[in-house]
Amino acid sequence: MADKMNEAATLKEVVTVRYITKDNAKFEKQSDFVKMTVRFPNEEGVEEETVYDRIFLHRAFPFDFPYEYISVLDSDSKEIGIIKEIDGLGEEAAKLLRDELDRKYFTPVIRQILSVKDKFGYSYWKVLTDEGEMEFTMRDTFSNLLKVGGTRIFANDIDGNRYEIPDIEKLDRKSFKRIELFL
Amino acid sequence: MENRTTLTERILALDKTLSPDEILLPIDYNLTPTAIRRRVDGIALLAKDRLLVWADGKQTASVPLSDVAEVVFRRGNGCCFIEYRLKSGEWHILCRADNQFLDFYAAAAREISNYLEGKEISYEYEKEIDRRCPKCHRQYRPGSNVCEHCVDKKNYIGRLWKIAKPYHPLIYLSVVFYFIIALVNLVPPYINRILVDDYIKAAEMPKLAGYLTVIALLFAVNIVQKLLSMIRSVLLIRAGNNITATLRELVFDKIQKMSIARISKRTSGELMNRVSNDTSELSRFISNDFGAMAEQILILLAVGIYLFSYDWRLALMIILPTPIVMYSYRLFHSFMRHVFHRSWQLDSRENSILHDTFSGIRVVKAFGMEKREIERFDKVSRDLRDTRILTEHFFAKIQPFLNFLMGVGEYFLLYYVGNRIIGGTMTLGEMSQFSAYVGIIYGPLRWLSWLPRRLTRTMTSIVKIFDVIDEGEDVADRADAVDHKIDGTITFEDVSFGYDKTQYVLKHINAEIKPGEMVGIVGKSGVGKSTLINLVMRMYDVSEGAIRIDGIDIRDISQDSLRSQIGVVLQETFLFSGTIYDNIAYAKPDATRDEVITAAKAAGAHSFIMKLPNAYNTKVGEKGHTLSGGERQRVAIARALLHNPRILILDEATASLDTETEKQIQDALQKLIADRTTLAIAHRLSTLRNATKILVLDKGEVAEIGTHEELMRKQGIYYGLVMAQRQMSKMPAKNQIKPAS
Repeated sequence: MADKMNEAATLKEVVTVRYITKDNAKFEKQSDFVKMTVRFPNEEGVEEETVYDRIFLHRAFPFDFPYEYISVLDSDSKEIGIIKEIDGLGEEAAKLLRDELDRKYFTPVIRQILSVKDKFGYSYWKVLTDEGEMEFTMRDTFSNLLKVGGTRIFANDIDGNRYEIPDIEKLDRKSFKRIELFL
Repeated sequence: MENRTTLTERILALDKTLSPDEILLPIDYNLTPTAIRRRVDGIALLAKDRLLVWADGKQTASVPLSDVAEVVFRRGNGCCFIEYRLKSGEWHILCRADNQFLDFYAAAAREISNYLEGKEISYEYEKEIDRRCPKCHRQYRPGSNVCEHCVDKKNYIGRLWKIAKPYHPLIYLSVVFYFIIALVNLVPPYINRILVDDYIKAAEMPKLAGYLTVIALLFAVNIVQKLLSMIRSVLLIRAGNNITATLRELVFDKIQKMSIARISKRTSGELMNRVSNDTSELSRFISNDFGAMAEQILILLAVGIYLFSYDWRLALMIILPTPIVMYSYRLFHSFMRHVFHRSWQLDSRENSILHDTFSGIRVVKAFGMEKREIERFDKVSRDLRDTRILTEHFFAKIQPFLNFLMGVGEYFLLYYVGNRIIGGTMTLGEMSQFSAYVGIIYGPLRWLSWLPRRLTRTMTSIVKIFDVIDEGEDVADRADAVDHKIDGTITFEDVSFGYDKTQYVLKHINAEIKPGEMVGIVGKSGVGKSTLINLVMRMYDVSEGAIRIDGIDIRDISQDSLRSQIGVVLQETFLFSGTIYDNIAYAKPDATRDEVITAAKAAGAHSFIMKLPNAYNTKVGEKGHTLSGGERQRVAIARALLHNPRILILDEATASLDTETEKQIQDALQKLIADRTTLAIAHRLSTLRNATKILVLDKGEVAEIGTHEELMRKQGIYYGLVMAQRQMSKMPAKNQIKPAS
């Protein structure tokens, strides 16, 4: 056990993960995107300010923590740093970044399953989502319905779109019955 | 996605000032670019001199092209974007849509970029819109032009029937046997009646001889019955296994021909399941169920006709519950299908886990994770058990009830027949014959009601098999592909390639490699080096541009001819289970022993092979476990050399070797490769010291090209890499342990 802790300590010494926080970064809207001004110590340990006219966000744990551990990338896809918690950045910045994330990760939330037809390895779904009624086709349904943490479901359709069912047990009985057999 | 004509009409209705010839490239979109999570009916347009955007019929942007610096496609998760950058540096979103538009957007963005650079619009992108089935409007699966949703069930059965063609005589013959057996089945009850009426209940004392004759007849009929069944079974088993073997070959053949991209999309467990389990399921169906089906239907017909002609009211009474039972089975049908499908999936998952764990057993053991693997397996195994129990439970609970329902007619029969015997209109013998037939007819009735269950299972397997067989070949030989004897010139003509259409891994590669040249390919990991050589081997087809060998586009050369002249040594060497000799001679099974030994010598493998007790006859395991990494690599090099290729590809081929051995092999190679073109990827730059030319890849493009000296003088990327490696090799010297003072 002691050995392990020692190792962890050395790992941290060798690798620095740069975190972007409320204290070292500022976010503002620029045209359709987010601009970030961030201060990091340079190699000499002196704080240096850099302005990124446009940042790109990428979720480290898209299923488990959609608004935590967000990697912030520059236009060359190089990581500038990681935001541990979006909500820790203050209300205004959090909203800006949440919007940006929700736009990049388009995941309609399924509220009701209107019908499912299963035919030879393909299934045809008609669902009611937050975005209205939608239809999609899934191939190999069984393996394209990802179960996350017990009751959350992500469905991937043949085009690569993703749909979420936040809590399968909260679906109405009919909807639940329709999806149950695929789980 | 709407086509250009429709969109053009819509735009003309929205903006009366536009003329049709101004409308160059209309793009529809369904997600709002700025607001979050809202669907919209929008159109973006590349007009002659500006970009225009409408959302729900209202114009939201109009940007003169003179202000636009670039247009790019960007991929989100579950959606995609086309964005433009203004010359002021500001980025804007032109349009955004869900992933259904993915390929269309990627292609459209490229077209717009080209237009900005002054090129004509090719409208190639329209192919991405039309890749849908005209009947059901569902997108074709990548690479396929058949809509599997519109292909119906009967078609599958029909195709299976066609595949079984060589065995049709066997099947027909067995059907004839069934027919005879069904008829023979009718005989014993008839004899029974004679036995009862003429002998047992006869008015006067029957003759013993006649009595014995009847019994002997009964005996003989039974023997004939059994004999016939035996022959019939043999026939069907033969047909079933032959058809399965044919199917297996078909599936395996297809998998072998699939491109690497297709194969790597599936797990090996899944593929193995298709080849072995699904085809055995079919075999089972043909040798057991298909036969039984024929038999039962014939018996049903024969007995049914008899019963109805004897007394139709009675027959009706017996058959009456059948539709109800059939209907009840239908009710459970979709439930059952799911359960079977699920059980199939779990089976496949179990296989995957087995495969995973066994091939990764070293990692499992090294990290002491046996327990976790056991748990993982146990879980799937338990799930499988539960699903199976669910199925069986279902049948255990439902079946007896349905069987009872089915037999309800028997009670009526008893009453009716009893009445007639008492009334004297029926003899005891007739009753015995009649109830025997009734007993017989329930067999097929029950069996037929059970049939959907079997059919479902078989259909699932058939569909899965055809799913593989129907998979499109994305790297296919052209009909007019030629066999070409390679001289060795390789030309890259503006080659771009992406594993999917939206993201190019290699961009605008231009290079010419002359016969006999050794070209080193250098660059950071993930820059596309291996992709480049995969393209030369035509594991994938280029997305744009062309690769030519001796001036011929490699897509015009037959793959057999192309690959038979290319020798490859990969970093990840794979040895098949067999002897070392077999492995070296893999690509040239007719090689003489002299040739094999010479190749092994050239590859520096001979000396270590001779140290093994069984030398060339040493068996190597599935992945050559008994050999070290360096030894395996040398065997692989020997294999490639024996192949005597015109083009030799070395992908980190000597990475597992020490520098000394590497140098020996290099010197041998140097002599061997004198007149053949060699492409070599290496991280250790010293490996490339014999290269006549170095190609440096950076960000998917050719950053530098030239000889070692030229590139060193240039002091660019290559220079940086060389310097960094020199520094590295000096390190040990610096850190040497100082002698204790």
